[in-house]
Amino acid sequence: MVPTGEATIGPFFPPRYVDAGANDLTLLEGRKAKGEAIEIHGRVVQEDGTALENLVLEIWQADALGIFRHPADPRCAQADPDFLGWGRAATDHEGGYVFRTIKPGAPEGRAPHVNFMVMFSGLMRILKTTMYFESQRENDSDPILSSVPAGRKTLLVAKKQSPSSYRFDIRLCGDGETPFFDD
Amino acid sequence: MRTLIEPRDERSQPARIVPGYPQTPWRNPKQPLVKRKPTLSELTGPLEVAKRVSLLGGDIAGHGDKQAIGQLIHLKVRVRDEDGAPVGGAMVEMWQANGAGRYVHPNDDDHAPPDPNFYGAARLVTDDTGLFELRTVKPGAYPVPTKDGWWRPPHVHFSLFGKVWLSRLVTQMYFPGEPLNAQDRILNAVPDAAARDRLVARFVPPTGTPHDALVFEHQIVLRGRTATPEQS
Repeated sequence: MVPTGEATIGPFFPPRYVDAGANDLTLLEGRKAKGEAIEIHGRVVQEDGTALENLVLEIWQADALGIFRHPADPRCAQADPDFLGWGRAATDHEGGYVFRTIKPGAPEGRAPHVNFMVMFSGLMRILKTTMYFESQRENDSDPILSSVPAGRKTLLVAKKQSPSSYRFDIRLCGDGETPFFDD
Repeated sequence: MRTLIEPRDERSQPARIVPGYPQTPWRNPKQPLVKRKPTLSELTGPLEVAKRVSLLGGDIAGHGDKQAIGQLIHLKVRVRDEDGAPVGGAMVEMWQANGAGRYVHPNDDDHAPPDPNFYGAARLVTDDTGLFELRTVKPGAYPVPTKDGWWRPPHVHFSLFGKVWLSRLVTQMYFPGEPLNAQDRILNAVPDAAARDRLVARFVPPTGTPHDALVFEHQIVLRGRTATPEQS
C-alpha cells in the first residue's frame, strides 16, 4: 500500500482547542454529575489502519435520566444541573481517546446512546455517528440504530470491558468502517 | 422551541474526496452515509459550552509593544440560522495563520516565521443580534506540503455551535480578490459557485473609523439551502 504522506494540510487546531478536562463530563464547575460514572475509550484509524493523532472528537448525550440539557426536551427542567452533556477530546499518538462521562439514561423512544463528531485533517466535512451500549435491551427498537444496515449495526455498539469501561473504536474508512450519518 | 431542519443542498457542500489532497481518500467513508430522521437527540445540543472550555477574547492582534505583525483587520461576522434569524449566544471558535502564513502548531513547518505576539485563536459568544467581532491581522497564504504548487489562500477557520447538534458547523472564511482563491483545492471542492461565494467575506470601503484597520463583513448560515458550506 502507498503510505499516506505525513504532510499536514491542516486544520491546524490551536493547542488550546482541546482544553484540559474538556473530556471529563462527570464534573461541571467542580460539582459531580448524578449517575453511573463510566469511561468510553477507543482508537481512531484511517483506511490502512494507521492510528490518527490529534484528531478531535466531541460527544453530546443525555444525562443519567435520559434528559437533554436543552429547552427542546420537554423534561429539560428536571435535567441534572451538574451535567452539561458535551465534551471534547483529542487522540494521542496511538490514535487513542478517552471520555469520562455518565452512562446516559434512555431518552423517550431511544436506547441509551452517545452522539460522536469527528474533525480532522483530510475530512472535508465533519463526520457524525452514534454509539450504543452492549447488551442494552432498548437497542433492538432504537429508530436510529434500526436505520443502519443489519451487518453494520454492531460497529456502533461499544463493548463493555469492565463494569465502568466501554470500548468504541472508530474506523473512518474501509473494512469495518464505522457507520456515519447523513446529517 | 421550534427547530426547522431543511435538507442540505449537496452541490453547496464540498466533495469528500478531493484530487490533489492526498489524505482525503484514506479518511472519508466509502460506504454511503446512513440517512436518519432526527430525534430529540439531534434536535438538541450543547448550549453552555463556555462552562466546559475557556473563552479567549476576540481582540487577538495585540497592543503596544506586543502588537502582532501584519495588516490589522476588523472582522464583523453575523451568524444566522436556516430561517435567516440571527443566532445569539452561540459559541464561536476561530483560528488562523499569522501574517506570514504560519500557525502556532507543532506540525507546521518552517516555511515562515512564528510571531511571538500572535497566537491566532479566539473563542467567543455571539451577541443578541448574532454578531461577533474580531480584531486580528490578515492571515498570510502558505504553501501546502504536497509541494506541487498548492497554496492555501488567506483564510480564517471557524467552528460554531448553533442551537442543536445538527447545526454544528466547521467552516473557513476567505478574503475577496485573492488570486489564490481560484486554485485552492478546499474552497473549490464546493461545486456550486454561489455557495463558494458565501465563503468569501465582503470588503468594506474605509470610512476613517477605525483608522488603523481594514474592515471585512461576513455572514455564516448554520444550515438550510443557503447554508455556509462546510470547510474542515
